[in-house]
Amino acid sequence: MGASYSAVGWNRQKKIYDWIIFSFCVVYLATFIVLTAIFNPDYTFETVLIRSTSTLAVLILHVILSIGPLTRLNKKFFPLLYNRRHLGVTMFCIILVHGAFGILQFHSLGNVNPFVSLFTSNTHYDSIADFPFQALGFFALIIFFLMAITSHDFWLHNLSPKIWKTLHMFVYLAYFLVVMHVMLGVIQYETNPVFIIIMIIGAITLISLHLVAGLKEARKDKINYNLKEEGFVFVCGVTEIEESRAKIFCIDKERIAVYKHEDKLYAIHNVCKHQGGPLGEGKIIDGCITCPWHGYQYLPQNGQSPPPFKEMVNTYDVKVKDNKVWLNPMPYAEGTERPGANIR
Amino acid sequence: MQNDEFYIGWMQEAPKSFSAWIKKYLFVLLTIIIMLGVLLALSQKKFDSGNFEFGKLTEVKGIYFSKPVPVIKVIDGKDIWGNENYITVPLIGFGKHGADGVIADIEKEKNISLEAKEVTLKGTLLYNDGKLLMQIDANDEPLISVADAAINIADLQKIKQLGTTDIKGEIVDPKCFFGVMKPGEGKPHKDCAIRCILGGIPPVLKVTNEEGRQNYYLIVGADGEKMNDMVQDYVAAPVTIHANAVEYGDWIVLYVQQNGLQHYSYIQEHYNSAYVACSANCLK
Repeated sequence: MGASYSAVGWNRQKKIYDWIIFSFCVVYLATFIVLTAIFNPDYTFETVLIRSTSTLAVLILHVILSIGPLTRLNKKFFPLLYNRRHLGVTMFCIILVHGAFGILQFHSLGNVNPFVSLFTSNTHYDSIADFPFQALGFFALIIFFLMAITSHDFWLHNLSPKIWKTLHMFVYLAYFLVVMHVMLGVIQYETNPVFIIIMIIGAITLISLHLVAGLKEARKDKINYNLKEEGFVFVCGVTEIEESRAKIFCIDKERIAVYKHEDKLYAIHNVCKHQGGPLGEGKIIDGCITCPWHGYQYLPQNGQSPPPFKEMVNTYDVKVKDNKVWLNPMPYAEGTERPGANIR
Repeated sequence: MQNDEFYIGWMQEAPKSFSAWIKKYLFVLLTIIIMLGVLLALSQKKFDSGNFEFGKLTEVKGIYFSKPVPVIKVIDGKDIWGNENYITVPLIGFGKHGADGVIADIEKEKNISLEAKEVTLKGTLLYNDGKLLMQIDANDEPLISVADAAINIADLQKIKQLGTTDIKGEIVDPKCFFGVMKPGEGKPHKDCAIRCILGGIPPVLKVTNEEGRQNYYLIVGADGEKMNDMVQDYVAAPVTIHANAVEYGDWIVLYVQQNGLQHYSYIQEHYNSAYVACSANCLK
């Protein structure tokens, strides 16, 4: 949203967020390494580092992937969402340590380049049990790398939100690669069922959260608005929308947010230009519709971000008749001024 | 949620209801993190007791032989009749390389053959489960001295034919398995083991008997030729070997017969139904 970019716009909340990430990582690594050293005095540093970083990264990946559905189910999780990219970059750094030490240990100092060795040592690509699992981890690392280096809003704007979002949706492919990397690798070595049980619990938790959140949204979208009049659709009563808040209506597969602000109703497209956040779940602050995901703002009367920012969304006509809200789902061009509908 | 409470990340503080909720979540998350750290750390397989004396160079005197794999025979005390005991110390190179290249360079540089000579070598020891190996690195100038052997070489070269046998086990690279890496076996180590063996480190068959005790066998081709390249597809997986077994002092060498190296499936052997066989094939 910024007219210019700084590396990271630090504020108190971000500092707290990052300190918590750092502290939790230290707690996990210290717990794992110290207990391994105590109960496995024959341990080697490299192996403990590879194992502690890998398990920590998988844990963080589960946390990252759960934040999206959690915020859909409960808005109190929004503080986790706002700085999720910090968590992602942290996870990438941890995975990089895991991957770098893995390649150093298993593929360096040989008779071929370590990266050639990675793909040519074990060539059982046609086997499930013998599959070269390290290659899967490598491709997941590449995806996480691309996500980490493009995590800044600078890249979001230069790549365009659509391409950026598509790229970052590859996190689900990366998750699948990570799961297979674990299942076809260390799970085949360790005899304790704890490892496979934890991976299954993790996967089930993530799938369940996504399904529940998705079903909740799908139920909202399925509401039919049958009462129509001159292109307008009856959507709700005036009192159903709280002051400075909105209700979201899905008409003809488009989500539209109808906001109440200073005795008027305004309708804008529900999707934020930043990362596709649900504008209708936001709030009007300082006269601007504020996206709940990252705080991007738009003026209710024209769907434009206040100067000097340039984001714009579609606007719609809305009218009030007998305390009933009628919405015309035909969009105006992004940033088109609309007068809004008087409530009284 | 109260209507006036709305979270925005770029504000200095989160609304109280949000921060209270997140604190509860973080408490649960921290509990999970600690529990997982404890559980995963304690659930790992025990690390092997192998040792690699990284950074420590030791001088070892013995008789060098290049066949069946490069070794030095080192005096290890005397038996009850006063005869000298010898242990066999296989030689390996730096990184994922065999010792052949280092030995060849020394022989070329000194213009001598080390075969059956008494040599003093400087290198890094690694050992586990009664086996001792030595890494020699050209950068360490490993040859300290070389002289004609003062003992009867024929005694050291005595072998004992054990006959042809079928034996099941896992092919490992001895350098990692006996000390450099933990684990130095199994699927996680498969790529490394392959790279080590392709680099010239002699492959070793690890066999676990019914009591859980492990025995180790050096593997060469039917005529004593190296078969490092041929075992690539069989490393770190259950295999069965049809071989002629020969005892060289404290090591047994398997001379693998033609087509004598095969993948082995416990399931296929013990559950010979068509369904299981098909499933096993699919998995393979």
